Amino acid sequence: MILAFDWTQLAQQIVIGLASGGVWATLAVALVLIYRSTGVINFAQGEMAMFSTFIAWSLVNHGFSYWAAFVLTVAISFAGGVAVERAVIRPVERAPVLTVVIVTLGLFFVVNGAARWIWSPETRSLPNAFSTRPITVAGVAFSISDLGTIAVSLAAVALLWAFFRFTKLGLASRAAAVNPDASRLVGVRVTWMLALGWGLAAAMGAVSGMLTAPALASFDQNLMQPVLLYAFAGAVLGGIDSPLGAVVGSLLLGVLINLIGTYVNWVGTDLRLPVALAVILGVLLVRPAGLFGRPMETRV
Amino acid sequence: MRSRAPGIAVWLLVAAVVLLAYLFAPRFISDFHSRELAGAGVFFIAIVGLNLLTGYTGQISLGHGALMAVGGYTTAALAVHEHWRDVWTIPLAGVAAGIVGFLIGLPALRLSGLYLALATFAFAIAIPSLLKKFSGLTGGSQGLRLLEDAPLQVTGLSGTVTIFGHTMTQNHFLYYLTWGIGLVGFLIAWLLVRGRVGRTFRAVRDSEVAAASVGINLAWTKTLAFALSGVYAGVAGSLLAIQVEIVNPLSFTFLLSILILVGVVVGGLGSLGGMILGALFVQYLPDLSTHVSTAEGAPDFIFGAAIIIVMLLLPTGAGGFLRRLARPLTTRLYLRP
Amino acid sequence: MARVKYLILLVLGALALATVAAGAASETGVTSTQVTIGGTTPLSGPASAYQSVAKGAAAYFRYVNAKGGVNKRKINYIYKDDAYDPSKTVDATRELVSQDKVFAIFNSLGTDQNLATRAYLNALKVPQLFVASGATTFGNDYKKYPYTIGYQPNYRAEGTIYGRYVVKHAPKSRIGVLYQNDDYGKDLLAGLQRGLGAKAGLVKSKQSYNVDDPDVQSQIAKLKAAKVNTLMVFATPKFAIQAYVYARKLSWKPLVYMNAVSSAANIMGLSTAATNKKQTEGTISIVFLKDPTDPAWRNNSGMKLYRSIMKKYKGGNPNDVYAVYGMSVAHTFVAALQKAGKNPTRAGIVKAADSLNVTNDPFLLPGISVKTSATDHFPLDQAKLQRYHDGHWVAFGGLFRVR
Repeated sequence: MILAFDWTQLAQQIVIGLASGGVWATLAVALVLIYRSTGVINFAQGEMAMFSTFIAWSLVNHGFSYWAAFVLTVAISFAGGVAVERAVIRPVERAPVLTVVIVTLGLFFVVNGAARWIWSPETRSLPNAFSTRPITVAGVAFSISDLGTIAVSLAAVALLWAFFRFTKLGLASRAAAVNPDASRLVGVRVTWMLALGWGLAAAMGAVSGMLTAPALASFDQNLMQPVLLYAFAGAVLGGIDSPLGAVVGSLLLGVLINLIGTYVNWVGTDLRLPVALAVILGVLLVRPAGLFGRPMETRV
Repeated sequence: MRSRAPGIAVWLLVAAVVLLAYLFAPRFISDFHSRELAGAGVFFIAIVGLNLLTGYTGQISLGHGALMAVGGYTTAALAVHEHWRDVWTIPLAGVAAGIVGFLIGLPALRLSGLYLALATFAFAIAIPSLLKKFSGLTGGSQGLRLLEDAPLQVTGLSGTVTIFGHTMTQNHFLYYLTWGIGLVGFLIAWLLVRGRVGRTFRAVRDSEVAAASVGINLAWTKTLAFALSGVYAGVAGSLLAIQVEIVNPLSFTFLLSILILVGVVVGGLGSLGGMILGALFVQYLPDLSTHVSTAEGAPDFIFGAAIIIVMLLLPTGAGGFLRRLARPLTTRLYLRP
Repeated sequence: MARVKYLILLVLGALALATVAAGAASETGVTSTQVTIGGTTPLSGPASAYQSVAKGAAAYFRYVNAKGGVNKRKINYIYKDDAYDPSKTVDATRELVSQDKVFAIFNSLGTDQNLATRAYLNALKVPQLFVASGATTFGNDYKKYPYTIGYQPNYRAEGTIYGRYVVKHAPKSRIGVLYQNDDYGKDLLAGLQRGLGAKAGLVKSKQSYNVDDPDVQSQIAKLKAAKVNTLMVFATPKFAIQAYVYARKLSWKPLVYMNAVSSAANIMGLSTAATNKKQTEGTISIVFLKDPTDPAWRNNSGMKLYRSIMKKYKGGNPNDVYAVYGMSVAHTFVAALQKAGKNPTRAGIVKAADSLNVTNDPFLLPGISVKTSATDHFPLDQAKLQRYHDGHWVAFGGLFRVR
């Protein structure tokens, strides 16, 4: 019985799941950053990442080398994230949370529409930062690109952790998120900390877009819409206030979707996503704060 | 006692104006605009329902478009498969969606805020896939067409409808049906909100711990709110199916859930008065955006910009703004010696 | 006596002329200077890339109007947004019919979208012309819906071509299918199975995907595991490119049949660049339009006309093959309107659309004609096979019927 089971297929589907999950891990980290600073899910995060991808494409198209374009895009996106926070989020900082959510929804349409208006809706491609040469180990195929994508997201998590833990700015940022009023009393510029959060998230989103586009082999203005969905689910599974959780959650979700689709016949490919989301909900009912999240304590 | 009389008089006047507007509006607008208003009415009903859940009980839902789908498909399936008269299916569509809303409310007991958003979001995403999967009942990706396959349509192809001996155009009938139900639904919601149920909802919204400590059953309240808002969404979905005479998975995507939520927040959370404005906003703005420019991407850009601008100017929505406007008036009315 | 007779004839003639003139002006949407037609297209939302079908047609009509129009009437083409939502299609179409009072509905996009309005339009006897959808029902169900007609070669027929080709040239293939989980993908698959006929068992694995799936890696892996050597890709461009890329990642090179929607030269170019020339070599597809990104047509007079119209009348992005489609269908409409005579009626244009014989469409492959008859309600049903070799398409064989 055990020998008849196709272990190679299982391993292959797991590896594919990790590769898929790795693609949306960085966007999940971006979502976590916004959540930690502003307390909302930024529904426009994917579109902002897509916009950054188009900027990178334009730069490459105008003769910049890939890495120059990469760094420049990250910098521009950081500035863009800060600008968005100051222009559109700051005015509603003290409004009900749902107002901010609706603003991010409005932002979704604005950024998507702008990207369609500036660049025509053709299918394009972005060069891959890593090699796509197929590698096969024990009958299971993958590429350096898959490993590279996961490595980048883990590196981002490590960098963020170091930033928040060891730098003064990072400490101020954490303080502003946890207790804005007390932070102001000790001289923390709270509103700029929020802007910093958005800038970092936008930069992370840019990285995400520039990894996603080559991983999915082509891109257009719809690139990040399905990715946002999965990143959101993965981030919540991992614990919405934990960047590491976002990465782990995304990887797990990728594996889960693939295994369900492959081995549960009734589900097939039609219902993979709903079933995977149902599984996540099951996890949340047992551990409401997600796998790595800290349970919220409310003072009465 | 005497100081309350002017307050009541004002409300009665408002009610009378609304009633008159409802009854006589079609005379002043074109036949086709009656149809567009009927579309706004559908949003209005869904928005009032979602407001009960999100505005008054403080629970977020990203899945009310899917609840509309439940209502719409119930109506279509009954009309096409079981040959029911389409308008008689409306209550059943509401009940079906109410039950589904209740079922969604159950996991909500353990989840809150963001996690509830994810749960309802998952439901919204799942619905089109489920609708396509069970194609025997739902017509799969083609959906169901009442105009062709439902023999007992009140609207149908004739162009006119005769109710109680009175003949009117199809579009006028849709308008009266939708807004009639809408006003009744609004009244029910208003009475609920003013009464004990409303106070219980608001207690839960403001502090669950405090509410529980005064003996409010959180589970019952939250699931009731979900079920009630589900009924409204189901009725709205049913009216949509009757209006456009088709149901299709593409009509009930996540975008619809977003539009309803936008309508609630723009209208003003926890304010019933603003809901009409919210409904008009989500009905007319997407269309207006295409009139401003049809360049690729421009309509979406304009729509999004309008949402942002409205939220920046009126963070508590139209209802919050109206309340601020009306405050000097009502204060004066109620504080007369 | 003769003078009285002459006078009577003159009066009768004048009366006849007056009635004809009055009758001409009384057809909805037709005046002495203008014909108004309308349709729906996704101007917003995720399907908005397809709006070039309407924009290309609009540019062509502006070109025709600049040359005087048809029978001295300019064509006023209104297209409204339905965001790809059939319930919005219903509302927008009703508005076109009752408010804008169009002569005919033309070039509305989408299968479900057009199905939603078909019964209504036929009941009101409003022509539903040249529906932009590849579903067979628009050409098959003309007895029930005589006012409706499609245009493009339908998906089921395309699938049948591939099936028949395999049976004839590679009857021992092991076929795998990657298809989109909607009418478009399922129609192609159904056509394939029909074309394979008795040899339908050659299909060893069918894997579907949804548009909001993250990628099709899992499906490709399963197809390879089924030891398939011929891969039918019934997918839209994004996933078609992924099929090549993920096959290469698995060190797998099946023979690919690429459906026409994703076979444009620039898409194939992206696939080749993302893998290598070997991976896309030998891919088979059908073609009926001139591809604006194919260098073979650079000096072709038809494509030169296309580019000049796109530029002068602001048709949008000239590299978009959907715009070429839009111009072709507009060209056919003009022919039908011409045929409907000096005083077109709704019934008249339907009759003209049912008896087309247009051989001079500059946007279609040379030799393809737009033909309809009492028993043939598929205006475009010819195509050529083409094979991808060394980075570009090479048509082979003759024109054949795509039915």
